[in-house]
Amino acid sequence: MRIFDMISICFRNLWRRKGRTMLTIIGVVIGSCAVIVMISLGLGMSKAMDGMLASWGDLTAVTIRGESGGMSDSSSNNNNNSNKPKLDDKALEMLAQIEHVENVIPKMEIDNSMLTIVTGRNDRYKLAYVSVVGVDFSKFDELGYAAEEGDLPNADDKNSSIAIGLQIPYLFTDTKKHGTAARIERQQLADGSYTKPFFEPLGADIMFNINNTKKQNADGTNQYGGRGYEHRLEVKTILKEDTMWETPYSIFIDIDLAKQLINEYNKLNNNKKAKEPEYTQIKLLCDDISSVEYVQKFVEDLGYSATSMAQVREQMQGELGIIQGVLGGLAAISLLVAAISITNTMIMSIYERTREIGVMKVLGCFIGNIRAIFLMEAGMIGLLGGIIGTLISYGISIVMNTFMAGGMSEMLGMGAGEGGGEVSIIPLWLVLLALAFSTVIGLISGYYPANRAVKISALEAIKNE
Amino acid sequence: MAFVTVRNLRKVYLLGKEKVVALKHIDLDIERGEICCILGTSGSGKSTLLNMLAGLEKPTKGDIIINGVNVAKMSEGKLASFRQETTGFIFQSYNLINQFNAIENVGMPLMFKGMSRSERDRKARQMLKLVGLGKRLGHRPNQMSGGQQQRVGIARAFVAKPKLVFADEPTGNLDTKTTDEVMRLMVRMCRKHNITLIIVTHDLEIARYTDRIVHIIDGEITSIENNESVCPVDDDITETV
Repeated sequence: MRIFDMISICFRNLWRRKGRTMLTIIGVVIGSCAVIVMISLGLGMSKAMDGMLASWGDLTAVTIRGESGGMSDSSSNNNNNSNKPKLDDKALEMLAQIEHVENVIPKMEIDNSMLTIVTGRNDRYKLAYVSVVGVDFSKFDELGYAAEEGDLPNADDKNSSIAIGLQIPYLFTDTKKHGTAARIERQQLADGSYTKPFFEPLGADIMFNINNTKKQNADGTNQYGGRGYEHRLEVKTILKEDTMWETPYSIFIDIDLAKQLINEYNKLNNNKKAKEPEYTQIKLLCDDISSVEYVQKFVEDLGYSATSMAQVREQMQGELGIIQGVLGGLAAISLLVAAISITNTMIMSIYERTREIGVMKVLGCFIGNIRAIFLMEAGMIGLLGGIIGTLISYGISIVMNTFMAGGMSEMLGMGAGEGGGEVSIIPLWLVLLALAFSTVIGLISGYYPANRAVKISALEAIKNE
Repeated sequence: MAFVTVRNLRKVYLLGKEKVVALKHIDLDIERGEICCILGTSGSGKSTLLNMLAGLEKPTKGDIIINGVNVAKMSEGKLASFRQETTGFIFQSYNLINQFNAIENVGMPLMFKGMSRSERDRKARQMLKLVGLGKRLGHRPNQMSGGQQQRVGIARAFVAKPKLVFADEPTGNLDTKTTDEVMRLMVRMCRKHNITLIIVTHDLEIARYTDRIVHIIDGEITSIENNESVCPVDDDITETV
């Protein structure tokens, strides 16, 4: 028998019992709707979770932390750390070779006791104990920081410019004043603007002085290193606040300059044991979230201490998985009911068509064809139910996304996260999966009735009622 | 060997614990092109014999060799092919599919063979014209009289060019005039294409159309008589239509 003839017979039979077919299809529609909507909600939750995690930090990043900047020299536990691998240029090169690592971003923090920063006429404004971070200016844009004022630094700015956080200008103290007058807090004024610092920060000349810890001023502060240990730099960028709170209280200089400053400090203070400065942090950006775990394991096996969002994510996904499982289970029950109703419908229809099946056999129809016809009918009920169910699910999804916009993260008690706008997400693979699944459900439901049909004796055709 | 050879055929039904012997011991030979009637009252075992000849039931014992193959020992799949290639079947209650029109009903055996729609429609149309239903091609069974429905049934039985046609009380539901028309039609179609026809009936009137009458009583053949058919060999089919 030709496949087209079987399909034609299958549709005729479904059409012959339109009412019953429709009711059975509605069952499948409800079941597949439930499954699709539940899964789409789960996907929405997943996305909201990832959005939230992303706001906490880069999901693809594995961060390796080393010693605090340049201090590995002075501490007495130096030897204890000797078995820990160094975070030097060699390490950087090696880490970049790891599979799935797309980019390495080193940072070198300078210990806040090393520098005193001054600006203004006669070095009037002073800033000590501030976080100075060395980053690669030629790749500054890869850090993910945005400029509030000015342009982001680039390779040309290596020895001439710095980028500062929003709060930095307000950290300077006026050496000519005392008490609260020596500082200005950053505060929003009634007209929406902010208080002005002592000096206009963008374009300001800033002097980095390296401290001489052996010589102290009368007030107990360290003396500067003086000539040869000074660096004049211009503020090129004021950085926007980032979600990770890395920028506001930091000054960013080029990483080569940071190395130079540390070396100069060690030289000035006669630090004989000092080694080549190491990076304090190396961020490895992976090609995909899924490879983060592998990279982190790899790095830890090398002896580094590494952190990533993968563990947090894993744990949250576990919890989410339980929620999704419960929702999916509920939906699966309705699909199971639909499957049983398909079986029931098919058995009924076989009872009605006993004689017809007998006649088909007497006329020489292969039993394989008979089985195929009934399986097709059941599968078609499943497929049609799946198609209609998918369309309705899209509708439900749109309605939910319209009226519950941004609600998913709140629903989960996660607080407002980024990308939490869509409550329900129906990707193409879900549609295809739903169609395939409902068809398979139909086929499975039709298996038993089809076998019953096959077993009907040709003698049924002879019986006269 | 004859076209249809039945040897030592026995059929016993189990009704609960009781054994009912439907056919005791049947030996029968039917030649190619013969119009044969199996005549018996209800309960005589004539229908059981037909069921077994057509392969619808398996015998308890014995062999049925049709066109050189043993129908009694055939698998379901082989039987289906055998039915497609060799046999046609005419039912008492026509057994047409109500959703199908006349052409589609007649084309069914060809559809099972895997013939294309256009090809089988062409053959079905030809066949229906031959049985005198050229103007009823698109009608459904419930739009036709009993006689017309049986003509469709006959067209369906002959459309695949079988070598052997079974007819189970083919005129049981028809009036006398229609019975005559239907019987003549069947017999003439068999004569024209040298097709063997085995009719099962309790009606002596029917037996008059056949060449040979097999009397069966209580599961045994009591006598076989040759008969002068009221439809002789040289009758022309087109006259009756």
